[in-house]
Parts: sequence; C-alpha cells; structure tokens
Amino acid sequence: MIAGGEIVDATVQQVVVVGGGSAGWIAACRLAAQARRAGSGVRFTLVESRDVPTIGVGEGTWPTMRNTLARIGITETLFIRSCDAAFKQGARFVGWTDGSPQDAYYHPLNPPAGATEIDLAPHWLHRPAGDDADFASWVDFQATLCDAGLAPKTIVMPEYAGHANYAYHLDAGKFATLLRDHAVQALGVEHVLGDVVTPHLADNGDILSLELRDGRRIAGDLFVDCTGFAALLIGGVYGVPFRRCGDVLFADRAIAMQVPHDGEDDDITCHTVATAQDAGWIWDIGLWTRRGIGHVYSSAHTSDDAAEAALRRYVGPRGDALPVRRIGIDGGHRERFWQNNCVAVGLSAGFIEPLEASALMLIEASMDAIADRLPRTRAAMDVMARQFNDTFRHHWQRNIEFLKLHYVLTQRTDTDFWRDNRAAASIPDGLRERLDLWRHHSPAPQDFDHAREVFSWPSYQYVLHGMRFDSHYPRIDPASAEAAMAGRFVARNDRARAELVGRAPRHRDLLRAVREHGLQRV
Amino acid sequence: MTGIVPLDARHHAALRFDPAAAGADRRFVRLGLSEIAFAAAEMPLCLAKDAQTGRFNLIALLGLVEPANLFAADGRFRATYIPRAAMLTGFRLHDGGAAGLAIDPADPTIGHDTGDALFVDDAPAPLLARLHDALRRLIADVAAAQALVDLYADRQLIRPLSVRLHLADGRDHDLAGLYTIDDAALRDLPDAAVVALHRADALAPAAILSASLAQVERLRQLHDSRFAPAIVACMLG
Repeated sequence: MIAGGEIVDATVQQVVVVGGGSAGWIAACRLAAQARRAGSGVRFTLVESRDVPTIGVGEGTWPTMRNTLARIGITETLFIRSCDAAFKQGARFVGWTDGSPQDAYYHPLNPPAGATEIDLAPHWLHRPAGDDADFASWVDFQATLCDAGLAPKTIVMPEYAGHANYAYHLDAGKFATLLRDHAVQALGVEHVLGDVVTPHLADNGDILSLELRDGRRIAGDLFVDCTGFAALLIGGVYGVPFRRCGDVLFADRAIAMQVPHDGEDDDITCHTVATAQDAGWIWDIGLWTRRGIGHVYSSAHTSDDAAEAALRRYVGPRGDALPVRRIGIDGGHRERFWQNNCVAVGLSAGFIEPLEASALMLIEASMDAIADRLPRTRAAMDVMARQFNDTFRHHWQRNIEFLKLHYVLTQRTDTDFWRDNRAAASIPDGLRERLDLWRHHSPAPQDFDHAREVFSWPSYQYVLHGMRFDSHYPRIDPASAEAAMAGRFVARNDRARAELVGRAPRHRDLLRAVREHGLQRV
Repeated sequence: MTGIVPLDARHHAALRFDPAAAGADRRFVRLGLSEIAFAAAEMPLCLAKDAQTGRFNLIALLGLVEPANLFAADGRFRATYIPRAAMLTGFRLHDGGAAGLAIDPADPTIGHDTGDALFVDDAPAPLLARLHDALRRLIADVAAAQALVDLYADRQLIRPLSVRLHLADGRDHDLAGLYTIDDAALRDLPDAAVVALHRADALAPAAILSASLAQVERLRQLHDSRFAPAIVACMLG
C-alpha cells in the first residue's frame, strides 16, 4: 500500500483507458494525439476485455465529430470509407406535435441565418400574411437540402468543410475498429487484452493499478473508465451513485434492426428520421450499406412484443426475416464523473435515449475537457475533477431537459405515453421555468448558464417553433432597421437555397465519389 | 460533347485540321507531364480540382477576367508553346472511326479553309495516324501528370492559391478554385522525403510550378493589350 500523500505531487506519466468501445478508443486517440502534438511524453494504455461485446448502436454524431476526427488525425475520406459513413444534416421529427399525417418538422444543424447578429424568431412569427413557411425553412435552407436528398458538400470541397453544417451516421462497430487501428498504429497507444479483476488502491483511494485475470498489473496515474454499463471503476470501485431520470424520460428499452438498402443506387436519407409511436419513437438512419432502424419505448406503456410489431410495421416486408436486437436503457447519469484519479467517459458516465444523438457528443466533450488540459500532477486532479463534475452535471441536466422538451410540447393525447409526458410532475423545474419565459421572450443566449452549452438557443428555437409552441413575441416595426436586417438575412437564405438546390450533389452520388476518389485536404 | 461523331470519309472528306486555331475561348488547359517546362515558359501553371472526382488536375492558365484565351489572337494561338490538349480538342480516340478517331466538327481547329486535309482521295491522310498517336501519348502524359499531382496531394504539398486582380475601374476580380505548390510545406519536409521526391522526379516540377506563377504578369500584359478596364495589380497569395 502506498500512502496517499506520496502520490499527491507525482506527475502524470501513464494514463490507462479501460474499455474498448467507441468511448474507450475516442478517449485513447484524443489523449494520445494531444500528447503527441504537445510532446508531453505521457504514455497511454488501453485495456480491453476479449469477452465483453460493445453496445455498438451509437450511430449518429454531432458536427463536433468533424473536429474530433481532425484532431485525432483521421482523414474524412478514410473515416467515410471505413465506417460506411453517410452525412447527416439534422433530424426530422415526424408525428411528435399532433400525430396527424402531415405532422413533421426539421431540426437542422445549421443555425438560423444571421444567428450572431439577429434573432429571426419574432420576425418569423409576424411574417407577412400568406407566407406559410415553417420556422426551419424560413430561417435556414438546410431542410430543403434534406427534402431533396442533397449533400451538405461537394467533391471539390476539402475534408471536413461543407456548404452546410453536417455530422455523420456511422457503423459503430467499424468506427471502434478504425479508432483502434489508428490509436495503436499511428498514435502509439499500447493495447492490452485482458479482464480487469482486482483494482489496487492507495490509502487515499486512488487507483494504483488494475490486476488482470492472468496476473498482469496495469499501473497508471489517471484511469479513464470506458467500461460501458458495467462502470467497473466509477461504479464498481468508487460506488458513485447513479442518478436516474426515468421520472422525466420514460423510454427504458430499445429494439434495433439493420435493414439493407433495396438497391445499390437507393437514395440515402441525409438526416435522421425520428417518428413518434404510441409509446416511444423510431429512429431511422441511413448508412452507405444499410439503414439502422430502432424503436425506443417505455415498457410501462407498451409490451416488448407490441414494440417489435410496431418496428416491423415501420420497416415493412423487407424486414420480415431480419433479426432484432434488444437493448435496455437505464436512463440517467453518475452524480460525479471524476472521482480521485478516475474519470468516467461514455456509458459508464450515463446514458439517455438517443433522441438527439448526444452519446458520442458527450464522449467528445468529455475528452475535449480532459485531453486539452490533461492534469500534470495528481494535485491538480482534485480541482479539475470539481470543475469537470460541475460542468458535466450541468450538461447532463440540460441534455435531459432538452430531450424532455420534445415530449412536453406535444399536443398528442391519444395514448397514456403522450399524456403522461405532459404531466407536470414529469417536467423538470428549470425547463418549466424557461418555457414560461419563452412564451413571451424568444430563447436567447442569456437563458443559458454556460458559455459552451451542448444545446443552445438555436436548438431550442427549432424544436419550440417546429412544434408550434404557443409564443407571443412583440411585433417589430416593419420600417425599423432590424426588420430590414431580418429581410436581408431571409433573402440571403433564399438565394443560398436556390443556388444549392442547383449545385449540391445527390447524397449517394457524393458518398460514391468520396469512396472512389477521396476528398482533398485543402 | 454531343457533337462528337466517329470520323468517316463520306461525311468528313473535305475537312481540314488547323492546330493554330486552337482554344480561342479556353481559360485553361490540362497539361501532360512532359509539357511542364515548355508551358511554364509562357503560362502560369496551377492545379484545379476536377468537378467529378475532386482530384487535382495540372492546368495551364490561359485567361484571367474574360472567358477568353489571352494567347489567342486573330484566329491564331500566339505562344511559344501550344499545349497539346488545346490542339487536340477536336479529336477523340474511337475504335469505330476512320484511323481510330472521332471528331467534333464544331471545334475551332476543324474547318474547310485552312490547315491540313484529313482525307486525301477519300483515304485517311497520314496526318490522322499522327493525330491518333498524339492523342494516345497525350492521354498517357496527362495520366503521368495526374500521378505527379496525386503524389503532391498525398504529401500535403498543395495549398489554395488566391489570385486577386485589381481593375482600373476600382473593382476586384478573384480567380477561384486554383491551387499551387505549398513551398513552406516543401521546405519543412524531412531530408529523406526531399530525396525521395527528387528520386521520383517530383522535386524539379514542383519548383517549375511555383516559379511559373510569375507568368500571371504575362497574362496581365496580354489582357491589357486587348481588354478594358486594365488590370492595375495582380495579388497572389
């Protein structure tokens, strides 16, 4: 046993990542790439069990993934080819507002036009009579690209650049393999296969080393727990309590299916489609080779069999012989993510239904915080842990509130699931307070505590106005300078839309060109 | 492209080929590897992305502001070197055509008045075999240039080139979509990589490409002798 005091001033020289899914390999790649850039000399080891399968259903990203991949040193061309990736320009929510046949709205990834200079929401609310454009189409052109199946970039644009903001749909299993190969071959991460059986701790509770089943000990100064739902370190060693959110977000199960495209030249949808069901919703994402489709549902509101039947109805006859995979969703997050010299990243930190594809994004955000400011000494860790815990508790809370927003605003009363979702007791106080505010004031940066919110005011505006939130913003004098400015941005948006509809390639054609010819770096 | 038809004596017996009439309205032309030193004596050589593949092509710049070839005047290509691709725009390889060729009868190099006859007594003239051979060699030469440029791209030795032309009437005209050799990246290469590029005959062409940008001034002079408003400054970045 080593006394805690002796290790307080020790410098961090060895970081151990435990777990080899998307979280573990993103963590290892980000840490190793950053250390290499800085020439810090810190070494990295990733320990992975041979026997534990990865969850592998996190198939939607945020635009942040472009930055993450670039920082790791993986080209967009290699990523798209290796992971059967496709472009994603946002999400289309079908049937969430009133469940009628024409009920659908977009949450595009582009911010509203002129977002840094003007709030277009009041102008849209009081747009001229006869202008029936929905909010997303009035303030941005991306919904049009999505409807037309057009890509967010062209083959002559450099890697990671586009004429519209974009993220990806990817094959999570292939993604982990790509990251693993890159971490080991290009970034010098040591890859150890073995089952962690015994953690060895110092007097102060720090983890000194992890003993594997074969007797090897993996020593480290900082441990990153990416062991998924098992949470071997943050839960198993430290017993950090898990804060569940099932009282707010009811979905607790998912059932997933991989559906091949019918033909080699089938259109690939360039956005996620989230279609409301009686007791949950169905995700539908397009990859190069197949679609990933899954039903997220509340077991308190429907049975597994009924949920599978709903999924199969959605997929249609092409899914008749296809197997399904069942996944439990224990929604919530740890009360603390960083304890002693151990930080939890990925499912070990928390998980909520994938309505806004936030799982990979939260891994990236965690690694931005850790890798960009890796503690140099053990003493620095306690301060950083407090900062990290405060920040990510906030992010999780806001994440839960933003997902709840999609349910709270529904006008559906056709099933218990939708009625229960509007029950006052299920709505977090902070969200209720803001919703009251937003009836008369458009969501604005001042409504958010952190400079870097995971969901900021444009996201709220897209959902609020997409779901026809009852808002009453003051009419702006049409003769005012601000109205003129709004007119210029809307006109600019219309010009961009017209130009891109003529110029942007079909989504599948662009993916084919990238796979055949590659994108250039400049 | 739609005007291209297999060459045949029945329809094309009276046609003539005049290479000097090539490319009057071309702003750029693709180059083969062997043409780099010759073309650089008069034209700026750049890289531009292929619209279908996104890959870099090696091109010689022929125009600046107007959609015109500044070397073309009075129906003639007045340069010390005429890029082969510009001369051969009227022809394609085509197994089903006379002498293995197809032609575009609307191409400026094809006509009835000047140049050499394509057929003599309804039989393919020896010129056609030479054109066929020239096309074949050009295709191989362009492929060799492509391989060189792919090597530059792979080594991250390409950067965007900005060309801003300041016109006498106060307007600025930007040439978009051009790229050039990244001299700074070239300088930063490790010694072994420099030697490898040299052994691959890729170092000297890179230097020629960079140096050829001085020929933008030559284009400016040609522009100002034909068009107004004049270009008062060329800013390359």
